[in-house]
Amino acid sequence: MRPSRRDFLKLASVCGISLSVSPVASAEVPDVAARETLPGRGVSHPALGRVDGVAKVTGGKLYAADFRAADLPGWPATTHHALLVRAPDATHLYEGLDLAALPPEATPTLVVTAEDIKRIGARVPEFYAGDLFCPVGTTPLYLGQPVALLLFETFDAYDVARVAFRDGNLLKFGKETGPRTGANYGAFRFTRVAGAEPGAPDIYSPLQEGWISPGFVDSGSGRPIWRVLPDEKGPDYVKGAAYGEAIRAELEAVNPSVLTLDRSFATQSVDPMFLEPETGLAWYDPAAKKLDMVIGVQSPFEAAEAVAHLLGEVQADHKPGAVNTRFCYVGGGFGGRDHTPFPLYVALAALFFPGRPVRLAHDRFQQFQGGVKRHAFKMRSQIGVDRKSGLITAFAADHVLDGGGLANYSVSVAVVGATGAIGMYAIPKVDVTTVAEHTRGVTAGSMRGYGTLQTMTALETLVDEACTALALDPIEFRRRNALKVGARTMTGNPYSVSVRAPEILDKLQTQAIWKDRAREKAAARSGFLIGTGVACAAKDYGTGADCSLGAVSIDPQGRVSINSDAVEMGNGIGTALANRVATHIGAIADEVTVAQIDVFDELELVTSGDPYSISQADQDQAARDPHWVPAISSATSASIGAHVGTQAAAEAARVVFRFGLWPAALALWGVAPRDPRAERWTEAYWQGETLLFSGLPPLPLKALAAKAHEQGGVTGAMAHAFSRWAWAEATFALPEGEWSAEIDALAVRRGSGGYQRLDRKAVAFPPADYNRIGTAFASMCGTSVRIEIERATGNLRIAKAYSVLECGKTLVPEVVLGQAQGGFAMGVGYALLEDLPPFEEGPGNGTWNLGQYVVARGSDLPLHDLDIEVLPPLAANEPPKGMAEVVMIPVVPALLNAIFDATGHRFYALPVTPAMIKGVLA
Amino acid sequence: MTMLSLTINGRAVGPLDVRPDLSMNDFLRERLGMTGTKFGCGAAQCLSCAVIVDLDDGTSVTKPTCVAPALDFNKQKIRTVEGHAVNGVLTPLQLSFVEHFAFQCGYCTPGFLNEGQVLLERLEREKVAREDLERTIMEALDGHICRCSGYVKYHQAVRDVILADPSRFLTA
Repeated sequence: MRPSRRDFLKLASVCGISLSVSPVASAEVPDVAARETLPGRGVSHPALGRVDGVAKVTGGKLYAADFRAADLPGWPATTHHALLVRAPDATHLYEGLDLAALPPEATPTLVVTAEDIKRIGARVPEFYAGDLFCPVGTTPLYLGQPVALLLFETFDAYDVARVAFRDGNLLKFGKETGPRTGANYGAFRFTRVAGAEPGAPDIYSPLQEGWISPGFVDSGSGRPIWRVLPDEKGPDYVKGAAYGEAIRAELEAVNPSVLTLDRSFATQSVDPMFLEPETGLAWYDPAAKKLDMVIGVQSPFEAAEAVAHLLGEVQADHKPGAVNTRFCYVGGGFGGRDHTPFPLYVALAALFFPGRPVRLAHDRFQQFQGGVKRHAFKMRSQIGVDRKSGLITAFAADHVLDGGGLANYSVSVAVVGATGAIGMYAIPKVDVTTVAEHTRGVTAGSMRGYGTLQTMTALETLVDEACTALALDPIEFRRRNALKVGARTMTGNPYSVSVRAPEILDKLQTQAIWKDRAREKAAARSGFLIGTGVACAAKDYGTGADCSLGAVSIDPQGRVSINSDAVEMGNGIGTALANRVATHIGAIADEVTVAQIDVFDELELVTSGDPYSISQADQDQAARDPHWVPAISSATSASIGAHVGTQAAAEAARVVFRFGLWPAALALWGVAPRDPRAERWTEAYWQGETLLFSGLPPLPLKALAAKAHEQGGVTGAMAHAFSRWAWAEATFALPEGEWSAEIDALAVRRGSGGYQRLDRKAVAFPPADYNRIGTAFASMCGTSVRIEIERATGNLRIAKAYSVLECGKTLVPEVVLGQAQGGFAMGVGYALLEDLPPFEEGPGNGTWNLGQYVVARGSDLPLHDLDIEVLPPLAANEPPKGMAEVVMIPVVPALLNAIFDATGHRFYALPVTPAMIKGVLA
Repeated sequence: MTMLSLTINGRAVGPLDVRPDLSMNDFLRERLGMTGTKFGCGAAQCLSCAVIVDLDDGTSVTKPTCVAPALDFNKQKIRTVEGHAVNGVLTPLQLSFVEHFAFQCGYCTPGFLNEGQVLLERLEREKVAREDLERTIMEALDGHICRCSGYVKYHQAVRDVILADPSRFLTA
């Protein structure tokens, strides 16, 4: 099965349960100054900054953690509480809870266990396959696996029990069994052999031949057997692996003209450490048979569908007929809230406590114990470099990922990490194997960088080592080897977006940190070492099946409203939407509502199949239905926020302009329909809220809006867009003329009427074969750092840092800058501070919190010496590119390379601590 | 249960019965519904839960609420993020946070806001030299964790409020 980074939701009813999704309704809190600061509602001051800025500095209720039953209209007033108890042991039989040890006032009203889940017939969604609760008499599948859900009438009872479970030993375990074993989550091999000449067809590539997996695993270790066996299953693997083995043989052969390095590198598990622990609130109304939920996730559609699947076949007396899920702003995500099983437990808490609103909230210990983690990688990398030309001749690597207890996104992370393993380089021969393993560790999944942080860190330190060995300038080396526009990536396809390595490298080379490195090193204070490091990254954005839903409308007074399915998680998506729409219709929106699904019903979308694995024939057949799209909605991740999240709204805004505001302008100017100027709408432009066109009087937006309404023009549009490394394109017939755009569904509103769906006349979905592409979208970033190390202690100070990136058109420059600064901080933490040991000593034991787990603070960073430079777009119409992940990646290898420059020692595992540095200086 | 009375944002609250071990954070969020004060770690490490305590001598400090019993705040006067703006008018620091895009997800913002406000008020009483300003801001804010922003803009936002009115906060 082709791994999917983002699943999709088939709308309409699921398993007989009707689904709806909405933003959180407005709420007022007793005894607190009245405010209405929910997403898209009430006061917004975009002119001051972010559209959510005022709410966030006034304590507005925005996050799932902020809501209680009393805040929600129509709900019972009292909130009840649930405690999710997790196993700190995965090597002994679980024998139940010692509830007698709880203080009497902390006795739960109800205890939900695996037995109860089985009894009512709840089903685990495929993505979360594995027991939701560890059954009594079974060894937990993984550390941190839930064993029971305790339900309490009052907060005080819950709180006392929470502390008792945290501080006491209230789970009973029996005989030692050792950890449970499980099959690998997935294994792939990516091999490419370029043609003999530049531009010649590849001899072998995943794009040409498809993706391959080995047929056998070692019976002892469970690891895949990568070499070709005599009775290998399937010729595809034999063919690809034969090329791969030839590359490895070439790298291992003695060849004096080629420098070969063979290194191992290990990265650690870390926690996303978003500041708002996962929280949810739910109420099952048995009379109405309706389940209402309030949650904060990056993947709203997926969460809604997962809950529906969970409850789809439960006993009739438990089964809701409808599930309404409300989505909040999230207090940080970084991938860790993308496909989290947490909403399933929120739903179960409500279902087993009918009639009572129930709140399930992780504290930080529980979040460490149960939240999704970044994968720890073990990597072996081999690189060959021609000594004379300095060109990379071949690269091979083997990656092993610790996926933890549930599959989650492990296979997908393995694939993205593997296909990103050659970073920004053009390498003619590449062979990378990757396997994601099941272990008893806490489940690993999506997190910023998504596998490439690990593999590009290994790569960029290896490249630095090669440069040292060959006495080549690291920037010049990268310039020689950088992938050029039009050249093929390791899956055999070129990027379809700009490739700006030369500019990034030029910037790095001429910036003061790199230019002055020798002088600064020589001027080190007594007792200190100075080092400079540089690194680059080219990071994909997009998943190969990305969707965008957006609607834009304007009222007679010129007030603009935007609706979007994207989720605000700090990425500034609301502000980005407002800014991108404003480029088309002049005004910053008065209202931006995010995380919406139910306002797009008029598009009447249907879907079928898996967008990642659908055949061309099936896609062609399905596309005959004008309602069909390959997928309806996808999760929000920071790296696709600008590119994907704003696409549908931007296209909707263009429709409003073309068929609403532009005809209004013509009428106000008195330009007749047959006047040649009537077709020159693309030449009009906005200065603020005034429309300008050469030779004609400026027109204010308010007048245009009023006229558009008066003459029944288009005053609202909603659209759906789909990208599989290219946007789907469709043509629609409007009375005013045909309209072709990078969308696949459109509805329009005229005057103050309702939305009317338009059947597309023609559509071109990206070919199904594009699913063989690793990525076609990438952004680049380079980082240089200067560090100072105290010899006596090993303490490291980052004296100066510089990051230069390109991301096409920047929708909100301040947000891009903030993401780059935040990415730098997270990179520093990953390189130098953060570490979660595996298994029993790690977070699954339930004792981890901040303090023990160290993230970067302000004093760890060069706050006043961090220079971020964003390259201007290549052209005025260059689309926005994802950038929130790439900015983190080069920070890590740049720091490691700087440590080598300072100390002469290379570290091959993360994090690098002062004690380790002191150790090599002794 | 023990009785608790205190003043929050200028308004008297209580007396209310509370458990002796009920945290101040839970008192604010669960009992009063004042969820502007956040819960981050429960270990006084991230300080997203910090509130301002106004002392009798006219000075103020911030205190984490996640590990402190509510009863520790008995008879005290505190300020929370909900109490900064008056009649919808943002304070200079709130405005500066918004204008600088200081935060991203915003979950840590109440703690930074309270800490920054206490710093501004302290500097009004105890001015510092311009060359010590960045260090002073760092020392004030460094206990707070922000996972999104990289801290740069928070520091710039506080600094720019001070530099906008130097005679109020800085020595000549």
